[in-house]
Amino acid sequence: MPNQNGSVYGLTILSPIIDDEKAAPSHDLQIRKYLATLPTGEDSPFAKAPGTHLARLVVMDDVVYVGMPSCEEHLNSKYLIFESNLDASADGGIDAYLADLAQNIPEHLDAIWSHCVGYPGASNPRAFIDYMKSCQLTTTFFFAAVNDKSVPDTLRALQTQRAVTDFIASHQGMEPARLQQEFIQFASELKAMPIPPAGSMAPRRAIKTGGRNE
Amino acid sequence: MSKLNETDIQGFVLRGYNMPVARYLFLRFSNASSARTLIRRLLHEITTGQRWDGGKPPSTLNIAFTHRGLAAFELPDATLLSFPVEFQQGMKKRAAILGDTGLNSPDRWDEVWQSDSVHAWLGVSALSAEALEARCAALAALFAETGGATILDAQDAASQIVNGKQNTAEHFGYTDGFGNPDYLGFTRNSQPGQGKLMPDGSWAPLATGELLLGYADEAGELPVAPVPHILAANGTFMVYRKLHQNLATFRTYLDQHAAQYAGGKEKLAAKFIGRWRDGTPLELSPDNHDSSIVTDPQRSTNFTYGADGDGTRCPVGAHIRRVHPRDAFGFNGRLIDRRRITRRGLPYGPFAAEGEAVSDSEDRGIIFMALNASISRQFEFVQQQWIEYGNDAHLGNDKDMLLGNHGGEGKYVIQGDRNPANPPFVCTALPNFVELRGGDYFFLPSITALGMIAMDLVDPR
Repeated sequence: MPNQNGSVYGLTILSPIIDDEKAAPSHDLQIRKYLATLPTGEDSPFAKAPGTHLARLVVMDDVVYVGMPSCEEHLNSKYLIFESNLDASADGGIDAYLADLAQNIPEHLDAIWSHCVGYPGASNPRAFIDYMKSCQLTTTFFFAAVNDKSVPDTLRALQTQRAVTDFIASHQGMEPARLQQEFIQFASELKAMPIPPAGSMAPRRAIKTGGRNE
Repeated sequence: MSKLNETDIQGFVLRGYNMPVARYLFLRFSNASSARTLIRRLLHEITTGQRWDGGKPPSTLNIAFTHRGLAAFELPDATLLSFPVEFQQGMKKRAAILGDTGLNSPDRWDEVWQSDSVHAWLGVSALSAEALEARCAALAALFAETGGATILDAQDAASQIVNGKQNTAEHFGYTDGFGNPDYLGFTRNSQPGQGKLMPDGSWAPLATGELLLGYADEAGELPVAPVPHILAANGTFMVYRKLHQNLATFRTYLDQHAAQYAGGKEKLAAKFIGRWRDGTPLELSPDNHDSSIVTDPQRSTNFTYGADGDGTRCPVGAHIRRVHPRDAFGFNGRLIDRRRITRRGLPYGPFAAEGEAVSDSEDRGIIFMALNASISRQFEFVQQQWIEYGNDAHLGNDKDMLLGNHGGEGKYVIQGDRNPANPPFVCTALPNFVELRGGDYFFLPSITALGMIAMDLVDPR
């Protein structure tokens, strides 16, 4: 399936932005302003609804004309692009995913998509899902660096990796009988730990990245 | 590719001089006119890449400029603004992207690097201390006579001498200076392991444009370079970093952890770097050091990591595997050919034998100088992604064991196997074994370009 790679679904939605000469500032600028203030990581709206590996929102004004010998072309509208890598392994596929968004972050969805043509609002989940699917494009090719695991599985794996690393580091050279005892204790504690919240396992990096160096 | 014009390229670019002593002078020019006079007088003294058929000279001289140094010559703005952004900014302004923060942050650098006042680097290498002093005295007299420059700082550096013989050890005891790439057009015989890996497993020289401006690089493009072309061609960029080594911290850490590591102290030290301290690559000889490999240029750098994906011979995060991953990232090594740097440098400060009492506060370390066509694509990438981060090697946030800016945190994983003398081991609570004490980015011009600067003939049109 061109939208799915293993258990990960690549959702691409292209929503035309309202072109209203009387709107000030224009609707695309209002979307840009809102997106610029959205938090990332654990506080991202997409961390508050289940199933998102990675999501990206982009305002596309037009295709860029680079001069001769390229031919000058324009889009019919400005578009809001929404891309999300989500868990397709969960029951219900993208219908369930979109319903979860509508239920968990309706205020964000409305603040963003109310600037788009024909948006029905998130308060009616069926209408919201139908709208989003009517704007959907086939993704065809995408890369999701998530090892074909679900979001909870990934969070659990990162938690386990971190905990086991710490355990090994603090128990090196321990006498075997005591090591086994401590490991059994550690394993049962680890098993009982809740799955960490989405976005919380991202690396803490002091270094400034981005741009041409990453 | 035709033979390079060795008379136009500074010798420091084409070869490591392997001289036992050096002094790096940091100059500030007085004004454009007297600075030009000074360069004109120095021009015939600059050591070029010409072969020394009559043996090494007693001393050598090379020169490079910071961006503000070039501005001091009042070069045209159209030229000054055409240099790559990272060079215009200088290393201090790049601290955040290099991870030069915390213990490595610019506010802890030597005074000379705090003030943004260095215009030029003058590198003097010599066969003896007497030759070095004589050359530096002559230079000082020339500065005074022309009024062209004042010396802001002088950094001495010297090889370790054991039983009257110069060696390439650094203060932690590792034999250094193996990993320089070969480039097309250099007359030096190429050495297996030093260039780029070819699909048939052989090694070939890298494109000249990975080091020298004005030539095609590994992408088949000319490197980003200032205008006019003739100012850039046969020149390169140099990164100068003064790396202080906390020798007491290193020795204590190694001793404490060796006590828990079944492979023994020397193997643990080897696992940090990927070479035994005598230089034997772990990849070729994981159980013992073997000086016959070190002294054989057909073997000392001739290895790959493809058969050691688990890192049980050379750890995945070992220093030499990080900074020159060879085939470790797959694709026959093609991913790394544009991330190579040429390294020059010497240790500074007193050497201390094993067992001799040492303190971190003693002034010792290594002068690290890297030459590359693009500081951002080559040096900065290696520093940011491979020294201060581990993702490319599937090591998450882990940093280079010895060079990383750890601040007491982080970990270093030594992969092991069922051999009781090669157990897995995790090092944690990593101190900063090395701290940055300053440095900057320099442009090392060709002889032609130096002449144009001296004669005020730089014309960007």
